[in-house]
Amino acid sequence: MRTYVIAALCLTAVPPLVRLWVGPTLWDRLIGAASLNVRVALALAAEAAFTGHGILLDVALAYAILGFLGTVLVARFGERGER
Amino acid sequence: MIGTVLIGVGLGLLLLGGLGTLRFRDPYARLQASGVGDIGGAVLVLVGLVVHLGWEATGGILVVLILFVVFTGPLSTHAIAKAAFMRGERPKEK
Repeated sequence: MRTYVIAALCLTAVPPLVRLWVGPTLWDRLIGAASLNVRVALALAAEAAFTGHGILLDVALAYAILGFLGTVLVARFGERGER
Repeated sequence: MIGTVLIGVGLGLLLLGGLGTLRFRDPYARLQASGVGDIGGAVLVLVGLVVHLGWEATGGILVVLILFVVFTGPLSTHAIAKAAFMRGERPKEK
């Protein structure tokens, strides 16, 4: 069960990676990065819940917070036009 | 059983959201697919983990993670859309 869930999460992380790689504009790359953040946090949470390593749950929460901060930060800087 | 079904549906929703990001042609349409798919899929997978493994194995941190995803997902979607609109990106006609 654990292997299947982690493998399926890795499979769902492929389309955001492609969008992050080929996205024509900055906003497409930002969308891909935000989706990828959600999937990595989910994979950490699933690994923690299946194996019982409770500390990985804290890591997942911190990763989600930092990913959200990074997305908003890049969006705000891109809105002003600084490159 | 219910937890397995919830995890499966959440993973399918995540995959469909990602494919919508690839398929749509304009950043706003991609943003809609990605935002809805990510938030719904993440909440379904986390609720499925809680139901599948029981309350003792996961504790309250998964609930905190669910609340965090629900509150900050629309926020980052709105930040990206507003930034794209302020920089002159317009939706494509047809």
